[in-house]
Amino acid sequence: MNQADVTKLISQLRIAVRPNQRNLKNPDGPEGRLLKLRKTVTALMKHERIELYYNRADEARGYAELLISNAIRHGDRHKATMELADYWLLEKQLVHKLFKVLVPRYENYNVSYTRMYKAPRDYPGMYYRQSVLELRGNPYPSLLMDQSQNRNLLHNVLLDEARKEFRRKKLADLVN
Amino acid sequence: MSRATKLHKTSWCALRQFQQYRTKANFSPSIASRNELFAQEQLRQRDAVGRIDKIEVRYLGLPEDVTLVMNNHISTPFNCAQHLSEGHCRRSALALIDGSFPWDMHRPLQESCTLQLLNFNVSEPHVVNKAFWRTCSFMLGAALTRAFKTEANLQLHSFPGPNIKSGSFIHDIVLETQNWQPSKSEMRAISAEMIRLAAQDLRIERLDVQLEIAQEIFKDSKYKSEQLPSIAQQNNGRVSLYRLGDHIDISRGPMVASTHFLGKCTVSAAHKLADEGSAGAFYRIQGVALPCGFKLSHVAYGLLEERSQKLNPARLPHEPFEEQQQFQLS
Repeated sequence: MNQADVTKLISQLRIAVRPNQRNLKNPDGPEGRLLKLRKTVTALMKHERIELYYNRADEARGYAELLISNAIRHGDRHKATMELADYWLLEKQLVHKLFKVLVPRYENYNVSYTRMYKAPRDYPGMYYRQSVLELRGNPYPSLLMDQSQNRNLLHNVLLDEARKEFRRKKLADLVN
Repeated sequence: MSRATKLHKTSWCALRQFQQYRTKANFSPSIASRNELFAQEQLRQRDAVGRIDKIEVRYLGLPEDVTLVMNNHISTPFNCAQHLSEGHCRRSALALIDGSFPWDMHRPLQESCTLQLLNFNVSEPHVVNKAFWRTCSFMLGAALTRAFKTEANLQLHSFPGPNIKSGSFIHDIVLETQNWQPSKSEMRAISAEMIRLAAQDLRIERLDVQLEIAQEIFKDSKYKSEQLPSIAQQNNGRVSLYRLGDHIDISRGPMVASTHFLGKCTVSAAHKLADEGSAGAFYRIQGVALPCGFKLSHVAYGLLEERSQKLNPARLPHEPFEEQQQFQLS
């Protein structure tokens, strides 16, 4: 078969992407939807952590992943990638950030480049689900609680005891 | 799917669960009568409160320290949490009264006090961990009652005090067979029963009763009836009972607020301890569990599972007790 391997033609993303797109209700139709997403992707690249509605975040996430992935694969000498970056990033100084900051940061990653959390929604307020979308390796403090340092937490107590027992057994084996 | 259909589906599921529960309760007359007695006593204690006095509960913690005016002998720490936020209700596993006494979330407060709400991530979680481990033993009893057929003639004996460092929570039972060698899939079925309990999100209620009522409740359980007098003797003639769904057991407490705090759970081993009578035998069922929201890699959890299979060195149920003090059940 001298057919190109289709899976190699486009970047394989490390996140689950929905099979169908969300239309993101907009009076301007598909163009308006894309403009919304471009604004979100630009804001994500600029601020590295943003809070927004879940649907819009999930939709924009795939495009942000694709952009970073292509930038890593092809570099800044590739015309199509440059056009892609030019399209998605509304603020042009972020094109430099993409290639000079984000590409070196994510070159050796084997997980997704972005991370998404569910966030609580305001009460009373809009019904829509909230979320936080962030780039990995950002300079802000982590949103998740660190459960490895406090040795009094239940799983750490169990693991410490298991370790002690293992050491005791090793020592007993050495003596005999 | 429209919201109406969703609503219909959820209410239908709830109804079906309720029906299942009802049929199960009807199925075993002893469990039904136990629950009836428990409910009666609960109602009697509620009615005995009489004129409602107000108490001041000083809540210390996030988002800010506040003073709540609550009803004496009626309001529980859970009711206080309801004044704070839904998150407090959902996350708080145990309450701490006056900075030192652990208190069940669903146990009415007795006097003006300060209140702290504990979850599993606080900096000093010893009390909550202990309560969690005790709750796991208690839930294991409920899971075993659900899992075994009546032909097996399962009798719950007791569960010794929680010892997390031993690596496993335990429940001692008596079965009508002397050579039960549970297969892997059988243990998995019991674990699944535990997970099912956790998914049902059942409230764990506490009730302090007089010895006579406790004896009436446990009149068809040989081992519990034997244990009751000495437990009551140490506790001014009163016995604290816990209920989860339709399962009732004796325990000193405290326990966590609900079954939904159980996250990962494995019932790992069943050890035969000794023969009992002509056909029965004592078995010690062991397991390991983590609170919900705790993430552990499967390798690390596998180590914990492996360790939990070793026979737990806690007090054995069939040994005579030298000191009465030791007989206090957990």
